[in-house]
Amino acid sequence: MAMAITTDSGSSGWSMLSLKSALPPVTSTASSIKLPCRRRSTKCPQLVRSFSALSPVNPVHSLGFSDLNSFEHNFTIIDNGYRFYAMRHGRRVPKLNRPPDQRRALLRGLTTQLLKYGRIKTTRARASAMRKYVDKMITLAKDGSLHKRRQALGFIYEKQIVHALFAEVPDRYGDRNGGYTRIIRTLPRRGDNAPMAYIELV
Amino acid sequence: MARSVEPLVVGRVIGDVLDMFTPAAELTVHYGAKQVHNGCDIKPSSAADKPHVRILGPLVSSSLYTLVMVDPDAPSPSEPRLREWLHWIVVDIPEGHEATEGREMVPYMGPQPPTGIHRYVLVLFKQERATEGGCQLPDGRANFSTRQFAAQNSLGLPVAAVYFNSQKEPAVKKR
Repeated sequence: MAMAITTDSGSSGWSMLSLKSALPPVTSTASSIKLPCRRRSTKCPQLVRSFSALSPVNPVHSLGFSDLNSFEHNFTIIDNGYRFYAMRHGRRVPKLNRPPDQRRALLRGLTTQLLKYGRIKTTRARASAMRKYVDKMITLAKDGSLHKRRQALGFIYEKQIVHALFAEVPDRYGDRNGGYTRIIRTLPRRGDNAPMAYIELV
Repeated sequence: MARSVEPLVVGRVIGDVLDMFTPAAELTVHYGAKQVHNGCDIKPSSAADKPHVRILGPLVSSSLYTLVMVDPDAPSPSEPRLREWLHWIVVDIPEGHEATEGREMVPYMGPQPPTGIHRYVLVLFKQERATEGGCQLPDGRANFSTRQFAAQNSLGLPVAAVYFNSQKEPAVKKR
């Protein structure tokens, strides 16, 4: 797409011939742009493509077409076809103020410690984020097969804990369906007033 | 020292150690200057000595109380094999007085949790009559049962309970 701009060296404006020759041939099944308005695409496909290379803003808006400002057209379209909302509506993954790799490491460490000690004290956000992973590990242990054991070994940091877990979970949680942890809220931490909680295995 | 038993239910003290009861007496426990309320954190170093336990009530009343302190999470909350670990039994505490005025049947042992965060429960029972000295001491501190002890000595349901959390302190300061 950047080629379209560099052919602009000599002329003052853009000529359609140079653009058409520089760009890949127009195919009607191009998935990179889903123009909401089909009839406009036949008039100016080339211009719209070059605009989308510059910025992810909805190209139709930049051309000033006014009848496309309804809800469906207010999300930006990134060129691999995904939709990107500006707000967080409906997203349920807790980010824990960390990038994804650190977040995964934090949750792995916390579940390892909980399975080792039985009861730990952390912040409320971390405790409620951990529940899913602890329940997952106990479910893997309930299954008990080799594949599940290896999956658990890939998540929990200490292998003694995995082997102990697989040994005792069928007795302890055999009858219980889900809900293997309990969170008890407690007083905030003194240093930063963070709300704390105990999380324990039921 | 709350009148309601909800913190005890939330902390699973009622269930693991005790049965559901209605509080009939009031109990205050102090380790030094710090008062124990349900679920608070006490360091083992501050709890090494006996707490000041006072039963609130009219001083001239003739009822006597028994205090039992146990740890239901011994040796570790994830594997409580030695549930419950007995820490202290005091009998014949007159109402309105401190626990030191009773007869200490099992000497006080401070919390020493080896791993994890342990709950320590202090339970108060009302005695029908003064113990004549016939109640049998448990053999060791491990695998004590508060319910069984209450049944053997016909103490009935508890009248007050409080619990606190404690965990092992880090041994040495990092350089």
